[in-house]
Amino acid sequence: MLSRRAFLSLVGGAAATSAAGAGAWAGLLRERVEDAAAVAVGGGSVSGRVLVVLQLGGGNDGLNTLVPSDGRYRDARPKLALPEADLVRVRADGYSLHPGLAPLAARWDAGRIAAFEGIGQRNQSRSHFKAMDVWWAGTDGSASTTGWLGRWLDATEGSSPNPLRSISLGTGAPALVGSRSLPTVVLSPSRFALAAPARTDAAAITAAFLATSAPGGSAGDVWLDAARAAIPTTIEAIDLVDRARVDDPDVDLVTGRVNENTASALLQTAAGIIELGVGTQVLLVGVNGFDTHSNQLIVHDELLRDVAAGITAFFDRLEAAGLADDVLLVTTSEFGRRVAENASEGTDHGFASAQFVMGAGVRGGRVVGESGLGSLVDGDLPIGIDTRSLYAVALDWLGGPTDGVLGSSFDRYDLL
Amino acid sequence: MSSTADIAALGRRATFGFAPGGLDRAVGLGAARWVDELTSPDAHGVAAAPDPWSAATYSNDPDERQQQALRILDGWFGALTESPRPLVESMAWFWHDHFAVSFGVVKFPAPFARYLSRLRRHALGDFRTLLQEMTTDAAMLLFLDGSTSTAAAPNENYGRELLELYGLGLDEFTEADVRAAAAALTGWVVQPRSDFAVQFVPRRHDAKPQQFLGRTVRDAAGVVDAVLDHPACARFVASKVAAWFLGDGVDAATVDGFARVFRDNDLQIAPLVRAVLRARLDGAGSSTVVSPFPWFAGVCKVAGVRPRPQAYFRALSGAGQDPFRPPNVGGWPGPSAWLGASPTAARLALASTVVDLLPAPSPLLAAAARPDLASLAGLLGLPDGFGTGTTAALRDLHGSSPGGRPGAAVLAVALASPELVVA
Repeated sequence: MLSRRAFLSLVGGAAATSAAGAGAWAGLLRERVEDAAAVAVGGGSVSGRVLVVLQLGGGNDGLNTLVPSDGRYRDARPKLALPEADLVRVRADGYSLHPGLAPLAARWDAGRIAAFEGIGQRNQSRSHFKAMDVWWAGTDGSASTTGWLGRWLDATEGSSPNPLRSISLGTGAPALVGSRSLPTVVLSPSRFALAAPARTDAAAITAAFLATSAPGGSAGDVWLDAARAAIPTTIEAIDLVDRARVDDPDVDLVTGRVNENTASALLQTAAGIIELGVGTQVLLVGVNGFDTHSNQLIVHDELLRDVAAGITAFFDRLEAAGLADDVLLVTTSEFGRRVAENASEGTDHGFASAQFVMGAGVRGGRVVGESGLGSLVDGDLPIGIDTRSLYAVALDWLGGPTDGVLGSSFDRYDLL
Repeated sequence: MSSTADIAALGRRATFGFAPGGLDRAVGLGAARWVDELTSPDAHGVAAAPDPWSAATYSNDPDERQQQALRILDGWFGALTESPRPLVESMAWFWHDHFAVSFGVVKFPAPFARYLSRLRRHALGDFRTLLQEMTTDAAMLLFLDGSTSTAAAPNENYGRELLELYGLGLDEFTEADVRAAAAALTGWVVQPRSDFAVQFVPRRHDAKPQQFLGRTVRDAAGVVDAVLDHPACARFVASKVAAWFLGDGVDAATVDGFARVFRDNDLQIAPLVRAVLRARLDGAGSSTVVSPFPWFAGVCKVAGVRPRPQAYFRALSGAGQDPFRPPNVGGWPGPSAWLGASPTAARLALASTVVDLLPAPSPLLAAAARPDLASLAGLLGLPDGFGTGTTAALRDLHGSSPGGRPGAAVLAVALASPELVVA
């Protein structure tokens, strides 16, 4: 396998000698990616397993996602409680799914989906930022400059780091930042491309852009070094995403709805990346809009329909490709929402929520934990299960190390 | 003594770089006088740029909102790149990151334009007035649900962020303070049918006295005063301004000094910013990363072009910095986010857009076509030149006859070079 250093010097050298050579970067890149794939599949040093973390940004309302059959739920939400008749019944005592999650029912009943109920971070903060820091860090509440997945990536990094090992789609990714590992962050797959001025040689320009990454003259400026190091990784990632992504949808400046940043579109790109097999082990997929302070019924319905459709199409595609057995998908969100609705037909920031674990390797068809509606703390759902139990299941899936990364051992509830 | 390179770097950080000739002028004035002029433009007789939005009226017709939004963006871009008071524009951008209202939530052009106008009007003015006005601003009331918050069911969204993000910072307040603020802030309502005027509706307001930050308050004015008078306020704002211009590695004693200046000047913003800029010229802090929107404004300013918003807003959004849409209520992420793959790719695309718009006799294209890389770097605000990697890359690119207009290829890569995202 071509080492990263050798690859860069080769491409840089080609750029330095001739325009024809300059165009060679794409071919070299392809070769390198195929080498990485060979290691991923047959080399044994890299597990073939993939973790997909679907991040529901803004604080998903667990009560209206995994709905408890509990009169106290209806009492607390005169406007927002979902009509009994609309709920999706699944094999789960005392719980039903939001109507928008209907496409997940078959997989649930086939035992491939489990839910955590009453899950959240101990010492939960209602602040988005404090909550997100802890959520990403996977600590007991103390500050950390590394994320829980970043620490796992650090612990398992080989001698020749692959910048495509962890990729984030549609969101920034502090959870993936380690002390040595940096994720490849792709905010918008369709706009992730290089361009050149009119009638110029795009390959020569790409090669020159790559060559500006060569060190020298930075006088120890860490930001300048980082800006340089980002360029080769960017060019590699563009090639990958270009082959994996779905076609370009449009963006609406007013509504902000970028079709490609739906769960459906991003999970298709994720499936494409998994199919390409370039050694990607962790994919973070970010969908926003779950901060439903107002007009929740309509907004939340739209979001969950997208999530369910996206997950279903994702697993359908991987099953067709024979890869579904390698993939675990978990949902996360920085906090749940208040039990009581507010005056804006929405819900404010709360504590515990519900999260899902999905895949062929899951011992599913069940709910772990309980809603806690009978034991509210200050009007909030209490946290019965630490978020790090979900993280522990995810890291076990990847082969660990788990407890060292999380700083302690958390109950896995026999989910794998 | 500040070197030309120090002034150039601070200009790229604080004033979207320099229009042609601007750096020479600043060096001629001397660093101290240049900073005085930037921070006190009235006292130095610097012409004021007109408010790009005040004269315009905006239709809130849903079918026209897209076009209206682009007009607002274009007006803003003109101010950023052409204003004789660039620090005012750059501080308005800072406050937009601080208060971080998203057009995606507000959805209507008129209140959003008024929100931007307020940020700009008070950009170097009085923080008290700014915070008071933000609290009952129509866009903010829509953004953080103040408009639907009532005595019966107060919404805590604005109250919490007022404490955590706008005025004091985490750990300076309790959950009880958040609830008290939410109650006292009720009653302010946006009237979409009256051009988004803001009205105080007494029957929606919780007039009960509230214990808030150790005093008794009953209304929005009381809440805002309590925040502004809190001992943590001046230091919180000063530390944010310091990190903006000096990077994250500023020591606590230096920030304490800035906070003292801010407090002694009764929360006037200009003296605070002046102290921070002077400190940087005296060697405090370190370089940091220029995010995509100000980087692009700087590229357009030095090139003297004003592209149509249609030509760039999608690329900025792909870079993670649609200027109308901060990703969340905390504003945009920190410097390392701007060195990820998405913003790195967008740089070359945006640089190419600008190069294609350059008029034929362009000093930048001429320097790139020779190529006279020392002159080109100087024009771009890098008086010490490009690093060795970029220099070799540009030279080799020129040698490969990359096509297009003379100098176009070299200039695009120069504009996208790593050197220009660090300042």
